[in-house]
Amino acid sequence: MTDITLSSVKKIYKPGLFKKNVQAVNDLSFAIRKGEVFGLIGPNGAGKSTTIRMILGLIRPDSGRILFRGKPFRESPILQEIGYLPENPYLYDHLTLLELLNFCGQSSSLDSKRIKMRGQELMLKLNLLEAQKRPLRTFSKGMLQRAGICFALLHDPSVVILDEPMSGLDPIGRKMVFDLVMELKDQGKTIFFCSHILNDVERLCDRIGLMHKGRLIKEFAREDFLPNTVNSVFLHTAKISQSQLDKVQVLGGTARNEGEGHLLAIPDEKYFQVNRYLEESGVDILGCRSEWLSLEDLFMQAVKEQNQ
Amino acid sequence: MRRLLTFLIFLVAIGVYFPLCQGMWKSREQSRANTPTGYMIPSKFSRILALGNQGLLSDFLFLKIATHVGTKVGMEQPFGEGDWRFVASGLNVVTDLDPYFVDPYFLAEGLLAWDAGQPELANQLLAKGTNYRRNDWRLPFFIGFNNFYFLKDYETASGFIMAASQLPGSPDYLKTLGARLAYYGGKSKTALLFLQEMLAETDDPLLRQRLAKRLRALELAVMIEEAIGKFRARENRPPKSMDELLSSGYLHALPLDPYGGDWIMSKDGRVFSSSRFADAPPSK
Amino acid sequence: MKSVLALATITFKEGIRNRSLFGIALLSLFLFGLNISVAGFFMRDIGKVTVDMNLSALTLAGLLLVFFVGINLIAKDIDRKTIHLVLSKPISRAQYICGKYLGIQFFVTISLLLLLLLSCLTVGLLFKLYPAYFIGFSWLIFFEACLFVLIKFWVLTAVVVFFSSVTTSSLITLIFSLGSYIAGVTIEEVVFYLKTELAAQEKIISESLRTFIDVVSYVLPNFSVFDFTLEAAHGLVVTSDRLLLSLGYAIVYIVIMLSAAAYIFSRREFH
Repeated sequence: MTDITLSSVKKIYKPGLFKKNVQAVNDLSFAIRKGEVFGLIGPNGAGKSTTIRMILGLIRPDSGRILFRGKPFRESPILQEIGYLPENPYLYDHLTLLELLNFCGQSSSLDSKRIKMRGQELMLKLNLLEAQKRPLRTFSKGMLQRAGICFALLHDPSVVILDEPMSGLDPIGRKMVFDLVMELKDQGKTIFFCSHILNDVERLCDRIGLMHKGRLIKEFAREDFLPNTVNSVFLHTAKISQSQLDKVQVLGGTARNEGEGHLLAIPDEKYFQVNRYLEESGVDILGCRSEWLSLEDLFMQAVKEQNQ
Repeated sequence: MRRLLTFLIFLVAIGVYFPLCQGMWKSREQSRANTPTGYMIPSKFSRILALGNQGLLSDFLFLKIATHVGTKVGMEQPFGEGDWRFVASGLNVVTDLDPYFVDPYFLAEGLLAWDAGQPELANQLLAKGTNYRRNDWRLPFFIGFNNFYFLKDYETASGFIMAASQLPGSPDYLKTLGARLAYYGGKSKTALLFLQEMLAETDDPLLRQRLAKRLRALELAVMIEEAIGKFRARENRPPKSMDELLSSGYLHALPLDPYGGDWIMSKDGRVFSSSRFADAPPSK
Repeated sequence: MKSVLALATITFKEGIRNRSLFGIALLSLFLFGLNISVAGFFMRDIGKVTVDMNLSALTLAGLLLVFFVGINLIAKDIDRKTIHLVLSKPISRAQYICGKYLGIQFFVTISLLLLLLLSCLTVGLLFKLYPAYFIGFSWLIFFEACLFVLIKFWVLTAVVVFFSSVTTSSLITLIFSLGSYIAGVTIEEVVFYLKTELAAQEKIISESLRTFIDVVSYVLPNFSVFDFTLEAAHGLVVTSDRLLLSLGYAIVYIVIMLSAAAYIFSRREFH
């Protein structure tokens, strides 16, 4: 059961009379399943924000279809179920946070009691309670971002779309948002977000899509980079022979190629065994890694491939 | 250092500004005095140019006319043809913008009928007013007065006075005045009553002065006329001269014409003055 | 409907807390003070002059409010992309237009009502000072005139909303709306002037110009129909059929403007 499906969506952006047309989104197809966290990454100008705007109905695709739970945009109560946080949200200067949230709730047809309850709950979670009666123009960037998150989540949507949710936040704020997203995930919500911060994307997402020049050039699943490698040590070794690799696998480690040599993932409890074996076999240890597969490397790799 | 410099420049500029400003205002006063009479936007376009603020524009233009006249009077400058054209066309525009506005009609009566000596022009404007201010007795009253006093058209005057007497708020004696006008025509006593009523209706101090002076002259003329009347009744003939009237005792003293003229007696017993009850024009 | 009201509420609040309001209020105070001082220059019709100045001051204030605050209440939404947030809620484009319109309209109404209060104080004061020259003045007719000044701005706001839906630049919206206002207050004078001139056989205009004027008299809002300054200034009674006709004209024109705006807006894309 997919929440959001895009099929061969195309969008040409026409900036004006004398400027060239830009293919913002080119034959884009992907699907986001119910309850999963899907991350969309890509270089600037890849078309991520355009894609989000098309899902929300702010822009219409030139061709292709966007379905929400199997039904096209107009027929489904899509917006009632979606919470959206734009990149760098600009909110009304003179309104207070409370008034903004009231508006959010009323436009989603929540009753005032529920609005108050949800509002207080979210503001508490995002540490905005004492600022609730202040006008939004007095808010710092981080506070605005958090206010935007309150706005997106007030009506308890089943689908949450976040465009750069961590941007502008200090480490405390980022942890707050991270925990919140994990919480939403536990609640079974579908989350679609764009980010430049690959670290966050890695940790949060079930699936990752990489966009470049309007196309989805690669899709990764979580298993691709974190295969039962929780609590593992990653060693970068010189090239080892097949028989040695087999032995390592028997001992409990996993191996893959890495540049000139190999990368071994060794579960903590098996570490000493494997290490002793490597020592006995005279295998050179070149270094240590913090992760199995670096998303950054993948990203750069994929972009390089596209540009060729 | 830089702030001090800026402050000094500022002080110098202020110092230069004050005398310069004074000079500028003086120069403007002079150039305004020398420029020909102001231009009045033709009536056709004034309504369009008002951009919906016809009432306000009418007020503004009225003030403009009033100040123009007031300044000239204040500076004791003579009024020329151009001035009266300006006043007449201006008041026309003002009443086109707002025909219910009463001030221009009063000003028209005061200026055009009396000072400019163009009662027909005043009557034209006042007639426009009667189409709109239908319950205002003063407008037909003024027209009637102009016809009586300046144009010597007693029949028309009577008609207007009668019309005025029908309107609410008009003084009671208007009815009889209208009738008398029709009957007596040009008797001085009628004019006297008229002037008294005009004086009661006028607030403008300049006009009041004029009317009071005219009234005084007429009162004196009437006094002399009454003396003549008594003489004729007794002697069965008109007196030969003012002196005979004096010496025979019917008139105790020869009153002074406020306009500085000499009294003239006409054959039918009416009294006039060589001054013609008007101020001599100011010498250029 | 609830969304429309919610959007109207935040638009109203955003407008009323704008600092420009102080400037406009001060200007109006100045004009009212001017009224009191200038009244003495007139001989008799002080009542008329007072009404003229007060209604013109209200009109000027309304124009400033609509053009400098009203336009921005929509333009800023689009410029700063706040509209992305708003449209991500279940609000249709038509509801957005209605909500924005109502918000700006509430804002202009409340502001003008406050200024009207001040205006009444001015008129009352002058009434006490020069009672003899307020003969024929009627508070009822004065309020009727003020009400229709307000209604005039309801129509102008609809025009502003319409142009905002068409163009992205707030300056273009301002120019077109201001142009519409100026045309709207002068159209009646021009049309009737042309009619009298033609009747007087002064054929100074061509046939095509006459057709153009005819078309324009339908398309542009005739703001003179909301102008009861003359009646209020001289205490002339306004018959209820005239009032109803003006009101009806305003409502229908507003509906046309808003529906056109809603349609155009629904075709728009937000990048």
